Amino acid sequence: MEASTDAHGPPAIECTDLTKYYGDFVALGGVTFSVAPCRVAAFLGPNGAGKSTTMRILTGYLAPSAGTIRVLGLDPTKEEQRLALARRLGYLPENGPLYREMTPYESLQFFGEVRRMRPAEVGKAIERVVEACALGPVLHKPIYKLSKGYRQRVGMAQAILHDPDVLILDEPTSGLDPLQIREVRGLIRKLGEEKTILLSTHILQEVAAVADDVIVVHEGRVVFSGTRDAFARDGDLDRRFYELTAAQGAKEVA
Amino acid sequence: MARLDAQVIGAVARKDLRTALGNPTGYVFLTLFVGLTAAAAFLQDAFFSRNLADLALLNRYMPEILVLFVPALTMGAWADERRAGTDELLLTLPVRDGEVVLGKYLGALGMFTIALGFSIVHVVVLSTLGTPDPGLIFSTYLGYWMMGVLFVAVGLLASMMTANPTVAFVLGVLGCGGLVVGARQAWAAGLLGVAVFAGFGALVALVLRPRAPRVGIGAGIGAGSAALWWGTDLATRLAGDADGAVPAFESLFSLLAVPDHFAPFGEGVIQLGDVTFFVAFAAVLLYLSAFLLGRRHW
Repeated sequence: MEASTDAHGPPAIECTDLTKYYGDFVALGGVTFSVAPCRVAAFLGPNGAGKSTTMRILTGYLAPSAGTIRVLGLDPTKEEQRLALARRLGYLPENGPLYREMTPYESLQFFGEVRRMRPAEVGKAIERVVEACALGPVLHKPIYKLSKGYRQRVGMAQAILHDPDVLILDEPTSGLDPLQIREVRGLIRKLGEEKTILLSTHILQEVAAVADDVIVVHEGRVVFSGTRDAFARDGDLDRRFYELTAAQGAKEVA
Repeated sequence: MARLDAQVIGAVARKDLRTALGNPTGYVFLTLFVGLTAAAAFLQDAFFSRNLADLALLNRYMPEILVLFVPALTMGAWADERRAGTDELLLTLPVRDGEVVLGKYLGALGMFTIALGFSIVHVVVLSTLGTPDPGLIFSTYLGYWMMGVLFVAVGLLASMMTANPTVAFVLGVLGCGGLVVGARQAWAAGLLGVAVFAGFGALVALVLRPRAPRVGIGAGIGAGSAALWWGTDLATRLAGDADGAVPAFESLFSLLAVPDHFAPFGEGVIQLGDVTFFVAFAAVLLYLSAFLLGRRHW
């Protein structure tokens, strides 16, 4: 598989032959890809392709059944390295889970405390992310009263609170209206200037909007990995995606 | 064991405590608890006929009240996180599993302590009626708190096993209830022993084949061997051989019974053995929680 390593040095995210079984079910059948520093990589694939599982493994929430992972050179399956990595990693899990009874301010305060930030530091960081995610109007309303768009932005604010080097975002624009999608994409592009971002999506337009690189997974395997231009070489993203996923599936069934 | 950070543990504990207190059900439980304990302490003829300013009547019912009350406090601790998906957020932060388990434990124990604090109105009532012995009241309340120390750990373990708070409540009541009934009935102590063996068997199955554990078979083997021991013991005793080769099953497991360890506190006697029982038992359960939490990695 073509790796998108380039002149930036060693990849920020790298996994080799990642395998994950849930009981007898093969969720990942040997996933290999890498993302170079300060690149925005879109992680594409149909539902159930293994995107979320891969991200859960990269963040250390799940351990792989086999394979090796390095994020910022650290191995999230080793507890001490996972802790070191977690300090430099921001994660937005699928569906943007949040503590619904808390306000955005209380939530961010909590995440700052758990990240061992000093009180003054937390205050500054909250100011910064509230500005970046435009959370001002809802900062002190309980999260369960917020719209889906605001909730997703609280999730983003939480992920960037500690100014991480790597961001892993599981479907950051799902459930948002077109205007909100534009805002979140703008934020991602801005963050991508100095951070490495891996974001999953099944919206192909997302690729053109934010991604430098594209990784396509299908049925637990990487079926494409390369730059956005290589992916969109004939201009028709839909057809390209269909060829990669549907054709591969047919081949495996046959 | 790795070093745990007090700031992280405190942050998790405060978050859980705030969630419990920011929730109307939290206050419903508090009110119910104070009302129920007041009824058990005072709304009985015996309270007036005894003419003693103490909580002896409440002590008789307190284990049973806590069996229902504590799992209601703890049922959401893990189940709600699972259901909302926030456990994924929490466990990918730079925190150790042990810090999260301890934080959640202290948060729930804090809530229990607050509830117990409100019930001090009973002591105020006693003081207006007579002169309660401060030492006795102190040891009685320490005893209540000690039962909470253990039951909160049981309830958290129950909450960890499911994403459904109602199921967590039922499991917690079964767990705490087993520890209470075990002191009241010999057969219940026997059943408690079978349950302990079954749990141990299930754990062995998890350790032996982490990827595809046969938990049911492990639990079955555990329960089966316990039943065999129990049966042999019963048979030897029926045959009239009181000091058979097999240790007495029921009396062995009645050692785990909570009311027996609580009773001395209620009489003003604080024994190191009883304190150790509650604290050590809770510690074992917390360790088990951390172990099961780590299992998501397998």
